[in-house]
Amino acid sequence: MISYIVRRILILPIILIGVTLLVFSMIMMLSPYQRLSTYIKDPAQLKSVDVDVLVARHGLDDPWYQQYGRWISGVARGDLGWSESAGATVSEAFLSRFPATAELGLFALLPVVLGGIILGVFASVHHNDFWDHVSRVLAIIGWSVPTFVFGLVMLMIFYGHLGWFPPSRLDSWALEIVNSSGFINYTNFFVLDGFLNGNLAIVGNAIRHLIAPVVTISILWWAFIMRITRSSMLEILRKDYIRTARAKGVTENVVVYKHAVRNALIPVVTVAGRMVLGLLGGLVITETIFNIEGLGQFMAQAAQQLDYPAVLGGTLYFGFLLIMINLCVDVSYAVIDPRIRLE
Amino acid sequence: MAENKLIDVNNLKTYFHTEEGTVKAVDGVSFEIYPGETLGVVGESGCGKSVTSLSIMRLIESPPGKIEEGEILFNGKDLTKLSQGQMRKIRGNDISMIFQEPMTSLNPVYTVGDQIMEAILIHKNVNKKQAREEAINMLRKVGIPLPEQRVDEYPHQLSGGMRQRIMIAMALSCDPQLLIADEPTTALDVTIQAQILELMNSLKAQFGMAIMMITHDLGVIAEVSDRVAVMYAGKIVEYTDVKTLYADPKHPYTWGLMHSIPHIEKDLDRLEAIPGNVPNPLDFPDGCKYNTRCPFATDKCRVDEPDIEEVEEGHYSACWHVDKLEAKKSEEKGA
Amino acid sequence: MEWQEVTLRLFKNKISLIGLILVIGFGLIAVFAPWIAPPADPSEPYMVPRAGWGFEPKPPSAEHIFGTAEGQYDIFYGIIWGTRTAFRIGFIIVGISTLIGIAIGTLAGFYGGWFDEIVMRVTDIFMAIPFLIAAIVLTTILGQGLRNVMIALITFGWMNTARLMRSQVLSIKEEEFVMAADALGAGDVRIIFKHVILNTIFPLVIEASMRMGSMVITASTLSFLGIGAPEGYADWGQMISFARNWILGGQGNAIQYWFTVVIPGSAITLFCLSWNLIGDAFRDILDPKLQ
Repeated sequence: MISYIVRRILILPIILIGVTLLVFSMIMMLSPYQRLSTYIKDPAQLKSVDVDVLVARHGLDDPWYQQYGRWISGVARGDLGWSESAGATVSEAFLSRFPATAELGLFALLPVVLGGIILGVFASVHHNDFWDHVSRVLAIIGWSVPTFVFGLVMLMIFYGHLGWFPPSRLDSWALEIVNSSGFINYTNFFVLDGFLNGNLAIVGNAIRHLIAPVVTISILWWAFIMRITRSSMLEILRKDYIRTARAKGVTENVVVYKHAVRNALIPVVTVAGRMVLGLLGGLVITETIFNIEGLGQFMAQAAQQLDYPAVLGGTLYFGFLLIMINLCVDVSYAVIDPRIRLE
Repeated sequence: MAENKLIDVNNLKTYFHTEEGTVKAVDGVSFEIYPGETLGVVGESGCGKSVTSLSIMRLIESPPGKIEEGEILFNGKDLTKLSQGQMRKIRGNDISMIFQEPMTSLNPVYTVGDQIMEAILIHKNVNKKQAREEAINMLRKVGIPLPEQRVDEYPHQLSGGMRQRIMIAMALSCDPQLLIADEPTTALDVTIQAQILELMNSLKAQFGMAIMMITHDLGVIAEVSDRVAVMYAGKIVEYTDVKTLYADPKHPYTWGLMHSIPHIEKDLDRLEAIPGNVPNPLDFPDGCKYNTRCPFATDKCRVDEPDIEEVEEGHYSACWHVDKLEAKKSEEKGA
Repeated sequence: MEWQEVTLRLFKNKISLIGLILVIGFGLIAVFAPWIAPPADPSEPYMVPRAGWGFEPKPPSAEHIFGTAEGQYDIFYGIIWGTRTAFRIGFIIVGISTLIGIAIGTLAGFYGGWFDEIVMRVTDIFMAIPFLIAAIVLTTILGQGLRNVMIALITFGWMNTARLMRSQVLSIKEEEFVMAADALGAGDVRIIFKHVILNTIFPLVIEASMRMGSMVITASTLSFLGIGAPEGYADWGQMISFARNWILGGQGNAIQYWFTVVIPGSAITLFCLSWNLIGDAFRDILDPKLQ
């Protein structure tokens, strides 16, 4: 088991390099002139200056491995380059936008994981009841609604019409407080900072802004996790060792929660890895629709503006995150299933 | 025979109501188990022997199964009338059960010690340390070497034979009065089979418990049973002590089964299997369920179903034409 | 399981029946589009006709049963012809990416060794980029247009199929009948084809039908973001792209513009739902444990 994890960690840099190569080669499909547009804000400039000089100056015409080498050596030094669309270094741009995304992501995980698993177990125990059918139908529908449509409808009803859950992270009055000198930004997680500063109004406002995007992003995956948990539980409950447990006189609750759930979680954990991948994509849409200045929105904008240092840096970052999470998934397998631990 | 029956099953009927129809898995079965004896229940797959044992344990999946009629008296108490909560106090405690597949009958994510201790902690008033001691003790009793080590191992680290020993340890950990063993050796190698049967016999003496041994293997029946019930299509067709059953079977089905086992001393041209197949439980024939395969069947057999009756002292058979069978047997003896 | 029995069960299962009816319904709409919504310009049937140059979306009326979007694009027309677009997108992307996935997965699983290792690492690399982000990046680079969207989604859409195929191949490889065929001297390709692929087709069918829905959703998301179908094209996602301006309630009551989002959004949802129902039903039918 240890050797397996070590092997995975060692492969990590190779995969990351592979990811960067992939994205880099995609970007290289653009001509030097197209890539130049990242640096030129004003189209008028294009007429006055000799474009070739600019191209040469930024090294956009050098052989690809040189350009790649430049970028990679920068990364090794911790320098991810300059992001034109953000007007800051890529690292700064990421760092400033990270809390918004992380806050959204963490709050979204709760209903997905807890709600999904608990409801999945519930559905499997009340197998074929009316509620089971209802939840199954809801889950399939939830899985079929596009995130952006759901987000727009949420905005329309709960903000446009009812005014309850506005987009962005905070109302302007709250933003003023947060940016003022009296408020210490420990983490830039507004909910947490609100608590740490003892300002419950901020906490309330942040939560109010979080509800709609969290629901939007989690509905899809909550449905997914619930279904997987349900079908996994159903399969496990049919197993011989469940019958053995009952034959010992174990109460039904213990049978379900001790004997069945742990075994049923194994495929759920597998899916969790895939889910995180999807969540990252969902974040892009949700942040864009709800106007949350996080990494997702930034990536979408950067891609559309061909801000390729940002795009490269972003995919590197997300790739790393993904691989780490998959590693955690593998470790949790070992924790849950002793058969894997002792291999 | 002592009149204090441990188990007294009267006219048990367990039906399964499925989409395709009602399956009468157990259709009017009556038998007794006395303390300290081994009752063998033998029959082909699908004859209802497992469902009978699961009915005693009240482990029938309901829906679609249901105990429609009958009573199951355990020390005088009717198990069919108990709630699940009351049954849980009995399961693993007074009546234990072991199953056919040792490879899948143990939970893979908990240690074997954990699983043995679970039963002990539920039914006995001891703390964890004591439960662990008992678990190790049980492992020793079932012949597992180095029990102090083994108790912390996981099922996948043990062989099939060892796992069945663990199952036995689990089942006996609370000193039950009855052990129901549903095909305990079927999935094991022949050599291991012999070991397990020997173990069960010695433990039976040690613990003073009764065993209900369910199997399709006549050899196993011969080795461990005191009395035998032969089942076919949801009913008991013959019921007597083991010696009589082998020496003097009084039901065509039993007789057919015995005949299909080749004997070393007999010169056979071909294997005598019973012709035909076990009938589809959704489509039982009228009259005696065995009539489609019985060499002695008459029109009466195809219309009327025979009740099980005492044909001689302590020997019961459900057949209209025992006399015909006797005639055939004499013929063969003479030949 | 034989195809006849699978089809029979598909019809008996209520869930899949609904899915089938929906898919057939959409199919009929797609086929009969030119009659249901005659194009204004027969040479450009996918360009949604505009009923004027007004800015504000108009609600459903006798003339425009689903109303008009910003710029007076007739929503009804867009929905009808958008069905064709959806099918095209779905079939092409799922079809090609599935073939790629089958090829890669089978070869990797069958030949094993370092070849398998390399292929698996490459798959990992492709999978390490979140799908939507990769799609956005590639589409932006290739340029706007549905064709580029399809290329982008195919490029990043084969990995799950490949992995699925590979694991199937790996488990079948060990099965005795393959070893028997090998022992009998059947050539590699023949073994692969006959035994491996034919036995693994069912999980693939399930996966493919689920992906029909998810690919159409992703494509419509890209159109919504403005990097897919061009403005005015009959694509469900495209039709929603301007809706955000109106439903925030800034320019009047938000709900009155519900049709700009809800109608095209329902079309996408129902389309995806129908494929998911079929895929879900397939899964129930082909689950060996439920037989």
